[in-house]
Amino acid sequence: MRRRLLLLGTVVVAVLAVVAVLATGLGRDPSATASPLVGRAAPDFTLGGINGPPVTLSRLRGQVVVMNFWASWCTECHDEQDALDQTWQRYRDSGLVLLGVDFEDTGDGAKDYMHQSGLTYPVVEDKDSTTALAYGIRGIPETFLIDRSGRIVDRIIGRVDADRLAGAVEPLLKGGSE
Amino acid sequence: MRGRWSAAGLVVVLAAIAAAASLGLVAVRGHQQPASRPQQVQQIASGLHCPICKDLSVADSPAPLAQQMRQQIDQQLAAGRSPDEIRAGFVAAYGDSVLMSPPRHGIGRTAYYLPLIVVLGGALVVVLLLRRWRRPSAVDESEPDGRAPLTSAQRQALRRAVERLREEEA
Repeated sequence: MRRRLLLLGTVVVAVLAVVAVLATGLGRDPSATASPLVGRAAPDFTLGGINGPPVTLSRLRGQVVVMNFWASWCTECHDEQDALDQTWQRYRDSGLVLLGVDFEDTGDGAKDYMHQSGLTYPVVEDKDSTTALAYGIRGIPETFLIDRSGRIVDRIIGRVDADRLAGAVEPLLKGGSE
Repeated sequence: MRGRWSAAGLVVVLAAIAAAASLGLVAVRGHQQPASRPQQVQQIASGLHCPICKDLSVADSPAPLAQQMRQQIDQQLAAGRSPDEIRAGFVAAYGDSVLMSPPRHGIGRTAYYLPLIVVLGGALVVVLLLRRWRRPSAVDESEPDGRAPLTSAQRQALRRAVERLREEEA
């Protein structure tokens, strides 16, 4: 009898373990997985500017970089526009660079949108998606925070808000990482 | 009984052959180099998840990002990078989840060895059960003609009745 109970208990535990593993795996949004890039050096790039000169990331070393991947057809990107502009205006003289990376856009879509929205921070164009692929982009908007040493300290998936950005950026501007 | 024992042995042998054949096939196919670059692109792309799709590989997805990935694979092959290096580059950016098959290191190894362990474990259980069924009971209380065995009380009553008969005869 005891052996049967032990066997039954073992089977129940094994089944529960499998169910738990499946439930954990199936319930997880694959797009929300942590980026393996966080904590590592930000991949370098040089991209042509849409509203200014080309930008090479490594030349921004010593400044805090907020890098936002977006496209003109992305409505969620429009929703976060104000927060990004506010952050740029508030911290641009404190050592912060806000860099928009236009990604998978069509024709003059980015230029038209920037003109209409009055976007003020520098925007570069990732024409062949090489930079987006190097940053493991799964969708837009996605925002990366890079500290003064060129290390990625955070990735924000989806729309950002000004308060969250301020909370993340201020410690970096003071010299620390999050 | 001997037939059962042979069947168990056959199950174990067949399971071991199937497992070895599967692993061998995976090992051989995994290291096969296609002849042309488009085939190599296809092979590498079919082993990568399209990052913005639910369940499509980079080879199967019509998404622009997947197209860019195929193009990047082609460019990297042209630049002399090996398929493993190209895969490693995507893993560095996206993590192991970009691979269609689990990685062969860390916890990903479980996916390769677990089926073998389950098959061998199942075979072991079958063998143990067959051995148990084959082993004769320590006390076989069943009656030869298939009737239900006597309880101890019935045995005692029977013993007393026999003794009474013997005493009466004496």
